[in-house]
Amino acid sequence: MTSPRPYALLAEITYRCPLHCPYCSNPTQVRSDQELTTGEWTRVIREAAALGVLQIGFSGGEPLARPDLPDLVCAAREANLYTNLITSGIAMDDDRVHALRDAGLDSVQLSFQSDNAVLADEIADARVHQRKLDAAAKIREAGIRLSLNFVIHRRNIDRLPQMIALAESLQAERVELANVQFYGWAFLNRAALLPTREQVIRAREIATAAQARLTGKIDIFYVLPDYYENRPKPCLNGWGQRYLTVNPIGDVLPCPTASSAIPDLRFENVRAHALDWIWRESESFNRFRGTEWMPEPCQSCPQREIDFGGCRCQAALLTGNAANTDPVCDLSPNRATVDAVLREVHSLGHHAPDWTYRVNPTAFPTLERVT
Amino acid sequence: MQTPTIAGSAQPRLARGVRLQTDSKTGNSVLLFPEGVLELNETAQEIVTRCDGRTVGEIIQALAQEYDADPQMLDADVRDTLVDLHRCKLIELT
Repeated sequence: MTSPRPYALLAEITYRCPLHCPYCSNPTQVRSDQELTTGEWTRVIREAAALGVLQIGFSGGEPLARPDLPDLVCAAREANLYTNLITSGIAMDDDRVHALRDAGLDSVQLSFQSDNAVLADEIADARVHQRKLDAAAKIREAGIRLSLNFVIHRRNIDRLPQMIALAESLQAERVELANVQFYGWAFLNRAALLPTREQVIRAREIATAAQARLTGKIDIFYVLPDYYENRPKPCLNGWGQRYLTVNPIGDVLPCPTASSAIPDLRFENVRAHALDWIWRESESFNRFRGTEWMPEPCQSCPQREIDFGGCRCQAALLTGNAANTDPVCDLSPNRATVDAVLREVHSLGHHAPDWTYRVNPTAFPTLERVT
Repeated sequence: MQTPTIAGSAQPRLARGVRLQTDSKTGNSVLLFPEGVLELNETAQEIVTRCDGRTVGEIIQALAQEYDADPQMLDADVRDTLVDLHRCKLIELT
């Protein structure tokens, strides 16, 4: 069997982050190995380009926490990759933005917690909102493409119109309104984060209307809350088909959340193997490739090459077996596990429980905490 | 419904953050942007490489000269391609 070709590498260069967002998809526990060095990342970037990768996303944690970020962007540009920085914008001062621009950074995706400073700082549990506004202005001045990303959940979903207005005022090219997906810290905080059905219906109407109003001006991308869907998302366009992730300690993952969600799968490390071998030959990348692994009802389903059975991590988290049909699918024998969560949220009404804030796996200078 | 079109005097350019390059695996031209990769067919490639400040009219003239073709025959193809790329926000018009 010839291996598919990867198009994009997600480079999670650190788990350190000055924010504490309760919806973070990072693992709640990580091995305390050393982060990859600049030299190791440079080798990974070259190997990825040789495999066919055309794009790299620098993510984390907060990628700006690494002082060598401009060097890594430079290495990616030398390998002819399209470079995208996925950041909270904290620590994006004039020197950083100019160094990144000069290194050839193509695009920045800047996260926001809300349009409202008080709520945003409460969600991040740090005084960050004003710094993000400043970062957006600096990115705009530097002429780098800017997109905003709002993770949407129960506490901020009613502010979609104001979030869209903020994206307009910051002259972003694009805004992503991404309903929270439940992995890592977000899985832990599901009951606090999941919006009600009424909130979801209203949000979809607002996003659709804004898309029509702003066509050609700003690109609005709305990510559905998959627990409320009846067919699963086509996660990653299929396992090991187009994407790979390298995490801060060099584990290579078919999906960024796989290391914590699927503990029985062994992931290979770039310190021990070439990226090419890991992509083509490793057990972890081949386990759910194609359709042969699929159980019923996926195996005989006409949708099996449309949604690929949904998300392996979600199947593992909700049913204990990553090979099961994603239980979001209403054909799954485990759909009741999702419905039980939705019933719980409905019964809570306006009394959402408190959430647990994300903490860093290692000591990292934190900003003054709000609460 | 009428298909939207583009004025002959419009100047198409690659949008901010969009890059045109050759895919070393296939030899084909691709447009790269944060959310994806668009592989260009030969016609689209010929058009996009000329989105450098020239007007739509000038691009059509240049292609007609290059391929010894009637500009009127090329007109619809060029405009349709540019409309598609503009709809995807891969080019901007000034």
